[in-house]
Amino acid sequence: MKNKVSLWEKYLTKEIGIEFKSCLYFFAILFFYCVYKLVNHTYTADILHMTEIILLCYAIGYIQVYVFNNFDEAWRFRAREIAGFVLCSLVYTALSYIFGWFGKSIGWTFGFLAYVMLMYVCVILIYSTKRRIDDKELNRELEMFKAGSAEEADEEDQ
Amino acid sequence: MKLTIRQCENVEPEVTVVYDELTPEVEKVIDLLKGHALTLTGKADDELVRIKASHILYIESVDDKTFAYTKEKVIRLNQSLASLSETLDNIKFFRCSKSMILNIDKIEKLKSLPSNRIDATMVGGEHILISRTYAADLRKRLKRGRS
Repeated sequence: MKNKVSLWEKYLTKEIGIEFKSCLYFFAILFFYCVYKLVNHTYTADILHMTEIILLCYAIGYIQVYVFNNFDEAWRFRAREIAGFVLCSLVYTALSYIFGWFGKSIGWTFGFLAYVMLMYVCVILIYSTKRRIDDKELNRELEMFKAGSAEEADEEDQ
Repeated sequence: MKLTIRQCENVEPEVTVVYDELTPEVEKVIDLLKGHALTLTGKADDELVRIKASHILYIESVDDKTFAYTKEKVIRLNQSLASLSETLDNIKFFRCSKSMILNIDKIEKLKSLPSNRIDATMVGGEHILISRTYAADLRKRLKRGRS
C-alpha cells in the first residue's frame, strides 16, 4: 500500500519529536540556570552542568514519550499523564540537587521545581492552543468541502 | 447520443457533457460521472438491499467481511474493502485506516489530536480515530476541496 509507514519512519518520527522536546526543555532550563548564575554574580556557565542538563533532557524526553504517553501534548489528563507530569518534574529537581546546578541551595531547588512545573504547564497550553487553532482550520475546510458537495447536489436537483 | 473520445498529450483528463435538454439519459450519464448514482448491494437482516453510496457513513472490514454503516442499519457487502476503496475514492469517500473508509460528507466535526491524529465525529455521534498517516491524506483531500 502506498501509504504504509515503515517501522524506520515511525521510529524516526518519534526520535525527531524527542530531539525537539530535548532542545525546548534544555533552553528553558538553561534560562533558569543563567538567572541563578546572574543573581549570584557569576558570569560563566559550567560546561559540565550544561552537558548534564542536555543529557537529562534527552533521557526525560524518552521517558515522556515512551512511558507517559507524551503527557505534555496530551489532550486529556488521566492518571498516567498526571503521574508523568509529577514524576518528571521531581526527577529534574532531584538531579539538579544531586548535580549541584544551583549550589545545592534548597530555596533555589524548590524554585526550580516550581519553574519546571510552570514550564510543563506552558508547553501543555501551547500545544492545546495550537490544536484549537488547527480544529478551527480543519472544520472550516470540512465545511467548504461539504458546501462543494451541496452545490453539486443542488445542481443535480435543478 | 453522439460520443466523442479524443486522446491528447499532456492534458488532464476532462469530460464535457453537451446537451440541449436534460433528458433522463443525459442525467444518468452525469450521475454516473459524478458517482452520485453509485449504489451498493448487500444484505441486512437476511434481506437483499441496495443503498446509495452517499447514504453510507463508513465502510469497515472485520474478519475479511465488509460492512457498510448507515445511520439506521448495518449492511454486509459482497465486495472487498480494497475494491470499494478504488471505486469510492473518486467521490467523497476517504481511506481512514487499513480497515475503514469513511464518507467525508457524513463527518460532523473534526478534532485535532496530539501527534497529528484526527478524531472525526460522524453524523450519528460516533467517533472515528484517524491515524497520523491517514490524517495527512485527509488534510490534503480537504484542501483540494471539490477536485
